[in-house]
Amino acid sequence: MKNIILYIFLGLIFTSCKKIIDVDTNNAAPQIVIEGNISNRLIAQQIRISKTVGYDDLSNYPAVRGAKVTVNDSRGNTYNFTESLPGLYVFAMRGIPGITYTLQVDVDGKSYSAISKMPAVVPLDSIGVVKNTFFGNENINVAAYVSDPVNVENFYRFNLYVNDNLSDRIYVNNDRLTNGNKLRLQLFYDGPNDEDLKKGDKVAVDMECIDSNIFDYWYALNQQTGRGPNQGTTPANPTSNLSNGALGYFSAHTYQRLAITVP
Amino acid sequence: MRIKLYLLFSLFIFVNQFAFAQRKFNISGTIRDAATGETLIGATVKLSGKTTAGTLTNNYGYFALTQPEGEYEVIISYAGYQSILKTISLTKDTKLNEELKSANDLAEVTVSAANRKNENVKSAQMGLERIDMKSLNSIPVLLGEKDVLKTIQLLPGVKSGGEGNTGFYVRGGAADQNLIILDEAVVYNSSHLLGFFSTFNADAIKDVSLYKGGMPAQYGGRLSSVLDVKMDDGNNKEFKFQGGIGLIASRLKAEGPIVKDKGSFMVSFRRTYIDLFLRASPDSAINGSTLNFYDINAKANYKIDDKNTIYLSGYFGKDNIGVKDLFENNWGNVTTTLRLNHIFSDRLFSNTSLIYNNYNYTVRLLNDVTNFKATSLVRDFNFKQDFQYFSNKHLLRFGLNATHHRISPIDIESTAAQSQVNSLKQEKRYGLETALYVSDEWAVSEKLNFLYGLRLAAFSLLGPGNFSNYDTKGNILNTENIASGKFYKNYLNLEPRFSLSYLFNDENSVKASYNRNTQNIHILTNATSSSPTDQYVLSSNNIKPEIADQFSMGYFKNFEENNYEFSGEIYYKWMQNQIDYKNAAQLLANSNIESELLYGTGRAYGLELFFKKKFGKLNGWVGYTLSRTERKFAELNNGNYFPARQDRTHDVSLVGIYNMNKRWTFSSSFIYSTGNAVTFPAGKYTVNGQTVYYYTERNAGRMPYNMRLDVSATLEGKKTGRFQSSWNFGIYNVLARKNPYSIEFINDPNNPGRTVAEQTSLFGLIPSVTWNFKF
Repeated sequence: MKNIILYIFLGLIFTSCKKIIDVDTNNAAPQIVIEGNISNRLIAQQIRISKTVGYDDLSNYPAVRGAKVTVNDSRGNTYNFTESLPGLYVFAMRGIPGITYTLQVDVDGKSYSAISKMPAVVPLDSIGVVKNTFFGNENINVAAYVSDPVNVENFYRFNLYVNDNLSDRIYVNNDRLTNGNKLRLQLFYDGPNDEDLKKGDKVAVDMECIDSNIFDYWYALNQQTGRGPNQGTTPANPTSNLSNGALGYFSAHTYQRLAITVP
Repeated sequence: MRIKLYLLFSLFIFVNQFAFAQRKFNISGTIRDAATGETLIGATVKLSGKTTAGTLTNNYGYFALTQPEGEYEVIISYAGYQSILKTISLTKDTKLNEELKSANDLAEVTVSAANRKNENVKSAQMGLERIDMKSLNSIPVLLGEKDVLKTIQLLPGVKSGGEGNTGFYVRGGAADQNLIILDEAVVYNSSHLLGFFSTFNADAIKDVSLYKGGMPAQYGGRLSSVLDVKMDDGNNKEFKFQGGIGLIASRLKAEGPIVKDKGSFMVSFRRTYIDLFLRASPDSAINGSTLNFYDINAKANYKIDDKNTIYLSGYFGKDNIGVKDLFENNWGNVTTTLRLNHIFSDRLFSNTSLIYNNYNYTVRLLNDVTNFKATSLVRDFNFKQDFQYFSNKHLLRFGLNATHHRISPIDIESTAAQSQVNSLKQEKRYGLETALYVSDEWAVSEKLNFLYGLRLAAFSLLGPGNFSNYDTKGNILNTENIASGKFYKNYLNLEPRFSLSYLFNDENSVKASYNRNTQNIHILTNATSSSPTDQYVLSSNNIKPEIADQFSMGYFKNFEENNYEFSGEIYYKWMQNQIDYKNAAQLLANSNIESELLYGTGRAYGLELFFKKKFGKLNGWVGYTLSRTERKFAELNNGNYFPARQDRTHDVSLVGIYNMNKRWTFSSSFIYSTGNAVTFPAGKYTVNGQTVYYYTERNAGRMPYNMRLDVSATLEGKKTGRFQSSWNFGIYNVLARKNPYSIEFINDPNNPGRTVAEQTSLFGLIPSVTWNFKF
């Protein structure tokens, strides 16, 4: 909201200017990063383990090999994940809404664990396009239509694919102010070269019902992206549900996908 | 209660002590400007004869002195005015109401040595900066809109909230720790257009005082500073008009007598007209947009008789921003102050104030499914009773203050059937702040002055309301339902205030001060600059009153017949119960907002050097601040101290004003400051196929430094009859330096896989022109 006002004001009166600068920062020692997902699809569920690299380094993230990865569920099942590719641990199974999953990772003499409960499925009713006009510029955005249940707190996350490419924006919602309503959640898109959606683009939307810790994780990450230091919140590592200082998250979530072609 | 009685008792002893003094008479009166009848605040009245004594006029131009019977020479002086010299024989209580002529009426601007006061050296008061409204008018500013809040940022110890921003930080305090009062009424949001302009229209302002430390006991309620802004009373001799046309806004002010020499009024209006340009656009989306703000200042006073004067003043301001069919946002302050000055006796001056002020905002979203109206309000009723008792060597101030707060955090009203946002009324909060204070300004000897006092500040959180306690994860432990009018939570704080000055001679002194301040109303925001939707919260079962203790010491020197002024002050400030936020805190429309907060401590220390040339063709000042500002929270930065965002090690400002001749005045200001303390990534990793940054130490990085040179020139037109006009030409950022506004980390477009820092700057070189007139 505030940014919109700022942009109008600046756009009208001033010319803001961007340039690349050098900043003085130290490269931190590598940290472990765990990204684990259990969904309600029968697929090879994936737990990815990697390490951080220094700020100055190339974005090649080293895989962490040889970890012991297990997931237990609240019904007493144990799933032993195996490394299929370097740093990628898989197990073919189907997660069940309402069940709590516990991840256990042992690697290099350290243990990391996390708990996540898969929420009930809230149906993704449909997806469509919405035309937005802003200062005479019309652009098209995808919207997800969801009927939010009234009796529970819900948290949603979306992945947006445009012509099979994953949008780099974070789409995450809760129903704190919109509980029990028919929701139209717009997934604003900004292409790699600032391009808008256009007629004929193939669009796919993945919807996940996530638990509250995972919502906080993505929400915190989203608060920091695109604002940078000196604006908005002071950046910090999002609070993870993983123990022992690991970065990343472990999420048990539902999965639905709908696709359309932009008319 | 016991403490209150004790205070009253000690007051009684003081008064008695004075009553036993030898046979003496009072000399008292009001000092005014001869041309306008405006009372002069802080004019010097000096008596010399058998004994010597001196005092300053108070906020209403009133003074009183008590001296033994005898012949005296009286000198009344005020900077920029011709002094009055009189001989009186004090054989009975004497009234001395005098009017001083402005020095500008002289053919040559010469200021006699008698006019040059050394009050800055002599007074026990420390950390006080007074803005001279005349130099304010010639200091260059963004788009030529002269601005009180931007001018105070050029003083040592005061840091800007950001480029072109009116937000400010004083001695390591946060932006919400400044008490900003306009004719005693609190102005909660002192900024227009996201802080690029302040709510204070310089046309309507008579006096601005900023206390950075050594806060006198009559002020309280905020930790780090007091900015006391007083409006013009209005000319009580003749009708006058003045105004101006600038790039951003136009101004018009009218003033005149209600009854000549007895009462006057002043009305001042300012409005921007950016949206008139918008309306000229052929594009319907643009010409349906709004973007404006306005300010109205109004004041009237009437002198009922020699003992009673009544004042009524008000401020109304509003910002309106909107895009057709998309959103509307407006916000503004209202203040109203009704005051009665009563002179009980020559020695006992009283002021009674009834004050109403509010700050409110409205946001409307007009999208077909996101369609709602959100409103918020902070409202105060304030009663103040202040007494000043003038005695031979003492100036006693005492009084009480009671403020009732009502905060309506947010009311969301769904405004369309298919709107997906639910209506929501967040519970209102009520609080009562009461304070009793007493202070004494005591001239112990020619060399030693004390200013000491005590403020007893009480805060009560009132019902009705549901008040929750939370565990460390933010889950509700229990909720108490409190009935209307019940006192739910009470805090009592005793705030000692103490300053002293020791004069080596007329031109050299050292001073020291200690003061404690507390604060019970807090702004919650995780943005850098002030936002119209900032949240206000009261101290509660979860939020404890913020407390600051400040020690400062300084050396003060005047030389070359008080033409030059130098001061060096050091300070150390310790702050308790400071507020920060948890990760992923959702501050807006959150009934459990207090579960999102973290509590910690802070410390700030620094050195401030100030050198000023006060008179002559070339005048101006140089200020330098070396400082450190840190915060400590158990949950942040591994519990270690980290620099606050506004921690800037070096801060330099230079202001020069050159009066070339009667027609041309040139001025310039230069600033340099270390960049803000910010958090830079120390590493990166991948999540969901995207690059995410890894952070280690909080605020361990630095933005690039800020540097800017602004210049302006004023051309006074020839006076034709009553009419006089002037042109002001200005250039903001002459060096066109790209000062950092924000930094974003992005993938290097030329070298994929590498990360680079991209800096955004707001303002390049910006010229401005303003035409001012008066008649």
